[in-house]
Amino acid sequence: MGSNSDQDKWIENRLDSLRPAPEWQPDTVRGLARFRQQRDGTGGHGRRFTWIAAAAVAVGLPLMAFPSTRAFAQRCVSACVSQSTWVMDLFAGSRSAGALAAGYVKPADRRMAPDFELNDVSGKPVRLSELRGSVVLLNFWATWCAPCGLEIPWFIEFQGNYRSRGFGVLGVSLDEDGWTAIQPYIEQRKVNYRVVAGNDEIAQMYKAESLPMTFIVDRSGRIASTHVGLCSKNEYQSVIQTVLTEEE
Amino acid sequence: MTSGESRLDLEAIFELQYERIARVIARVLRDPARAEELAVEVFLKLSRRKKVQGDSAQAWLYRVAVRAGLDELRRESRRMRREQLLAFGRKPPTPEEIHVSNQEQERVRAVLEAIPARDAELLILRSDGLSYDELASALSLRPSSIGTFLNRAGQTFRKEYVKRYGQQ
Repeated sequence: MGSNSDQDKWIENRLDSLRPAPEWQPDTVRGLARFRQQRDGTGGHGRRFTWIAAAAVAVGLPLMAFPSTRAFAQRCVSACVSQSTWVMDLFAGSRSAGALAAGYVKPADRRMAPDFELNDVSGKPVRLSELRGSVVLLNFWATWCAPCGLEIPWFIEFQGNYRSRGFGVLGVSLDEDGWTAIQPYIEQRKVNYRVVAGNDEIAQMYKAESLPMTFIVDRSGRIASTHVGLCSKNEYQSVIQTVLTEEE
Repeated sequence: MTSGESRLDLEAIFELQYERIARVIARVLRDPARAEELAVEVFLKLSRRKKVQGDSAQAWLYRVAVRAGLDELRRESRRMRREQLLAFGRKPPTPEEIHVSNQEQERVRAVLEAIPARDAELLILRSDGLSYDELASALSLRPSSIGTFLNRAGQTFRKEYVKRYGQQ
């Protein structure tokens, strides 16, 4: 099939056929006007809701006005109210369960976290299996990864709040430039947990192809949850609290 | 920061980026007018997010734009297939329609639709002129693995293309 650069050239030519016609020009002014209009519009949802409410009132008021139909109308209203609270309860219930369910594995189904030994900033080796007995939040990140930076303040907070209960954060940086990139970054961000410099081997072991990627490891060294990409602070927190209260 | 200020920020981003974002989507879609509509929707999505502003906004915009384009392409093809199915036995396609469907663009689009989304995203953004670093931050990949991923995406693309249309 020819050499690599032949293939590159071939692909480039194929994809180049998609180039928009040269005479076509996106119209920024018209686009911006449309953008403003749609952003400032009340939005379809709000308007639709207003119409439904208005229709309900229009039907309900005449029914309420006549004594003969009032009882019927009252029953309709109370049925609506009880239905909607029931539906809301259902949603609230599934939401709190869902927050835990995302990436969380029951203790019986957990797999061991692959062990590794990497050096921290002072050159001291850190081995994952030596942290057994504590719950470990294992975070793969890099200084160039913007979403990773958003999570760091949360991890600093978790480290402060849960350390006394046998919890620790371990950051594994996948920066190509090693400590020259990592050290100033963690000093500037005042990172209070341990950070080690990772390598391709560990990235493959944990299949950390996209960042951030985070694992919560339970007290016996098994993976209790996996989080790919930027997650919510609550998601981490609820898993940490659950895993901390599990029996050893 | 007042909301007025962030609005101005957003409009500044819009003015700077709109053309490129619309062009990325127009690569994927057949209809440039629809591409412009989708581009506006991408910026509306950005305006609803609190976190992604500033530097990371550009990467985010590219990612969301190329995904919006590919999603719309799939929807469009599904609709066309459904219409063809409904029109079955009614009228044979005109020579013009056949000509259009044979065009290189249509072939490339069909292949992009068939291969995994991440491969298609990489190839489209690369052909739009994004650097390895820009690709890495747009698709949340490590810069050192972009070369490998691109190569793999290229191979997947070529294999699918040859499977459908033969060796060119």
